Amino acid sequence: MTVRFLNPSHEAEALAFTPAPRPASLAGATVGFISNGKEGTKGFFTHLEALLREHLGVAEVHWRTKGNYSAPAEGEILDQAAHWDFAITGLGD
Amino acid sequence: MTFQSTALGARDVAEAQALLHEKGWTDGLPVVLPTEEAVAACLAEALMPPEQLLGIEPVRGRPITAEKVAINAVMAGCAPEHFPAVVTAWNAMLSPPFLLHGATSSTGGCAVLAILHGPQIRELGAGSTFSALGGRDRALNCIGRALRLGLINLLDVRPGEADRATLGHPGKLGWCLAEDEEHTGWETLAEQRGIPREASAVTVMAAMAPRQIMNEWTTAPEEILETYAAEVRANLRHYSIWPGNYLLVIPKQHRTHLEAAGWSKADVQRFVFERARIKRREWSEVGKGAVVRDRGDWEYPAFERPEDVLVLAAGGPAGGFGAVIPPWLGNKSRAVTAPVGVCIDC
Repeated sequence: MTVRFLNPSHEAEALAFTPAPRPASLAGATVGFISNGKEGTKGFFTHLEALLREHLGVAEVHWRTKGNYSAPAEGEILDQAAHWDFAITGLGD
Repeated sequence: MTFQSTALGARDVAEAQALLHEKGWTDGLPVVLPTEEAVAACLAEALMPPEQLLGIEPVRGRPITAEKVAINAVMAGCAPEHFPAVVTAWNAMLSPPFLLHGATSSTGGCAVLAILHGPQIRELGAGSTFSALGGRDRALNCIGRALRLGLINLLDVRPGEADRATLGHPGKLGWCLAEDEEHTGWETLAEQRGIPREASAVTVMAAMAPRQIMNEWTTAPEEILETYAAEVRANLRHYSIWPGNYLLVIPKQHRTHLEAAGWSKADVQRFVFERARIKRREWSEVGKGAVVRDRGDWEYPAFERPEDVLVLAAGGPAGGFGAVIPPWLGNKSRAVTAPVGVCIDC
């Protein structure tokens, strides 16, 4: 090798957390929606709630909305999410 | 100097360039190879050890070190003397009000605009007159590009990865400009934001593409500035109704009329603050009637306060032009100004 140079990437290790185990069933479960606050999420989550209740037997659905489209969810939302069995978030426009 | 980064090798420069492109570590243009010597020279210029932490990106918790920022600065073509401005821009971008993750990942597609202030402008040979908004000189192009390459390589801000922009704009290749502090009696933007004129500083802004205006048929400050305010109102109608910091770039011809009439930057800010506002019903005139609902009389100012009108002297000496650079997402991301080379131990 006649040319040597440094790696410009972050070279980060894998994220220091593992995904939560996937539930085998949502029957009787408590599900949370975290909306980014955009208009289109209302129709999407309304339809999704109906599907979850009708087809998968979900017992409770909690709706929460972030204060800023582009920032992480506030701490109080994360505290509430700790009591849910399943959360749906990360939606764009 | 000992580095944490992996050392890579290639048989020649062409093979090294090919490797960097193949790995997705470039913006598609050729890069300068980040040799240990070149990276060390940048760090020495800023008096920084490689492991110095500039900050932690808060959403993904990713540390941003001086070493990695220097590697990307070298790749962008920076000389060592450009590196302190790059470091300062990163410090500003990592400040929470800038909302770095959102600004670099949004479908809205802004670019990071860096503005140089103070003595560094002359020292680096950065230009603030002809073609002030882009494509000017080595200092501006390399500093702007260094930020983009850093975002690509340190935070995966590549189109289709973390960068989810629908359109983006050409400033994403790198966007840096300098304030014309020489040809005006106005205080500098940095001074207005608390930095003494004797100090160098960098302002970063999550910026949409510049909208150029023209009015060369009057010398009246109110008429000149009404054209700028109208462009801000157009952005409120066509893009986003949310208030935030807009950058008004005012070249010499307009400044001459404004300053001759005794208007200070604060006067300019107050005028535009008052004039740049619309009623929600105006959305129905541009195809957005569906969201007007019963709120047609609601007023939406472009600015929460006059200080959010960021006024920058820059541009060539002739031409009745100016530019309005809107914010990416209203006040969710704010422009941040940081001083260069401030040593907390000195």
